Amino acid sequence: MHPPFAARLRSTPIIYRVTGGLSIFFGKPLTEEEKYGKLFFLALSLLLNLYGGTMSYIAVENLCKTFTVRKKREKGKLLREKTVIQALDSVSFSIERGELVGYIGPNGAGKSTTVKILSGILTPDGGSALVGGRVPWKERKAHVRHIGVVFGQRSQLWWDVPIVDSFSLLKDIYRIPEADYKKRLDRLTGALGLEELLRTPLRLLSLGQRMRAELCGSLLHGPELLFLDEPTIGLDAVSKLALRDFLQKENREKGTTILLTTHDMEDIAALCPRVMVLGHGRKLFDGALPDLLSRYDTERVMTVRCDALPPLPEGCRAQREGDAYKIVYHPDENRTADLISLLHQSVPIRELTVQGQNVDHLIAAMYREMDL
Amino acid sequence: MKAYLSAFRMRWKMEVQYRGAVVGGVACQVLFGLILVALYRALYRGRPQSMPLSAITTYVWLQQAFFRMLLSSDPELMDKIRTGGIAYDLCRPLQLYGYYYVRIMAQKMVGSLLRAIPMLAFAALLPEGWGISLPASWPALAVSVCGVALGLLCVSALENISMGFTMRTLDFRGVMALMNLVMTTLSGNILPLTLFPDAWQKVITLLPYAQLLDTPIRLYTGEYALARAPGALAVQAAWTVLLILMGMLLWQRNQRRLIVQGG
Repeated sequence: MHPPFAARLRSTPIIYRVTGGLSIFFGKPLTEEEKYGKLFFLALSLLLNLYGGTMSYIAVENLCKTFTVRKKREKGKLLREKTVIQALDSVSFSIERGELVGYIGPNGAGKSTTVKILSGILTPDGGSALVGGRVPWKERKAHVRHIGVVFGQRSQLWWDVPIVDSFSLLKDIYRIPEADYKKRLDRLTGALGLEELLRTPLRLLSLGQRMRAELCGSLLHGPELLFLDEPTIGLDAVSKLALRDFLQKENREKGTTILLTTHDMEDIAALCPRVMVLGHGRKLFDGALPDLLSRYDTERVMTVRCDALPPLPEGCRAQREGDAYKIVYHPDENRTADLISLLHQSVPIRELTVQGQNVDHLIAAMYREMDL
Repeated sequence: MKAYLSAFRMRWKMEVQYRGAVVGGVACQVLFGLILVALYRALYRGRPQSMPLSAITTYVWLQQAFFRMLLSSDPELMDKIRTGGIAYDLCRPLQLYGYYYVRIMAQKMVGSLLRAIPMLAFAALLPEGWGISLPASWPALAVSVCGVALGLLCVSALENISMGFTMRTLDFRGVMALMNLVMTTLSGNILPLTLFPDAWQKVITLLPYAQLLDTPIRLYTGEYALARAPGALAVQAAWTVLLILMGMLLWQRNQRRLIVQGG
């Protein structure tokens, strides 16, 4: 069925269905035809509702998008070279209400394109996408009312005016009732630590402050779905941690569905139970982060501060670094506990730490293996 | 509706922030006005034209006072297109054309009023033959104010169209330079349209550019008699409606083939 029509049927308010149902039997007399027509509509909308209940909140199927890039003319050639870039190559996934999903992939993988399509900005070349029963690019205005977007490298607030003025413009744009607006603004400014900054023009804020203000602006209308496109770009450690905390709360307490695009693996590790990996416009992985990492997480590094090392079993590589030794080994070949007890028995240990590989290294290894 | 009003107010607030620019603009336009008036005085001493000198100086001052209305000068909007910041505006439950229209209009209206009031006060103090003279009659003043209001609506629609084309050419500087040249020439800002050959004037006064300031100024000086006022205003209104429709169509088409620049 044509999706917008289906959505409209499904979103018929319950109260209308009840009164509509009653009016068939108790309302003003109807012709047979009208009676059956009404009953049919009601039955259809109820059925669709049941079907809608089983449907994912976001359902994306075989989404495709290409861009044409014109390059500078080469010497001796008459025409500029045109290349077609397949930004998205049949990407499919579904996300349920209240999920917090990380969306990663190297630069140019098509992450932002996905976000832009799902937020109704771009029209895809092929495939389908339904968000809350709506096709984003076809019902743009109805769709965007329910979503919030943060583009980490752009600004939605006005440069030269106090941020509270930008917020009140957003209030009018989204037609937020005054009481709701006050309540939300209070809550958001409190949670994001913006109370002191409301009357400051945007241009005088630091990057971290600005990002918090942007986030506040994107949540003022109480969206059920939030797209975050690299929200922690360029932020210091304190701001990052604060932002993560806030997002986690927003997701847990308000049930906001969040799709987070980032290059910061710490963000993903801290926030997202589920992660999708995109590369060259294709979806390469969809699952839990530990599952993804365990495929590539092979080596462990043991740092031991001691004077000398005993002979180590096969498969261990040792290297002196300052007053410590670094032992690199494979946990399947040599169990960590065995190594520790061997060291403990043979030399006095001042300090010992064991680390898995840095998440960034793992992701880099993964991208290399997937040939991205 | 409230959203558009709010956007209008916002742009207003922003325009008022740049007070230094207002002072600079006024000084620059006053200087321009004085030079042009001196030029026409010299021209008239050699060979008087059909238009009385005081009508020309009035024309020049009114053009200079409302110069900001003509000039396309919302670098912020252009920048949004160039760098892709437009993405945010596209995910608002708004009609994008209307949203930009009110922004452009607010900027032009506030920008030109802030400059026009001190400039007209200055020009009124100058002696006869240098400054601005009184309107032909009170009704003439009233219709010319209506004319400026229509001109504002018209020029906002015109600029919205050139922005729509900017979306296609990706960089605005070339188009803007050309548009500004056409604009200042055909609207009578460089040379009063009243001084163009009569045969030319028949065509030029029907173009949209003449509807912006030329028509209201002629209504003010009495060049267009009161009896002609309804017709002149109707031409202005017709162009405004046509340009708005064209702009909406252009934006609608653009939205379909949109690419957001800069990742």
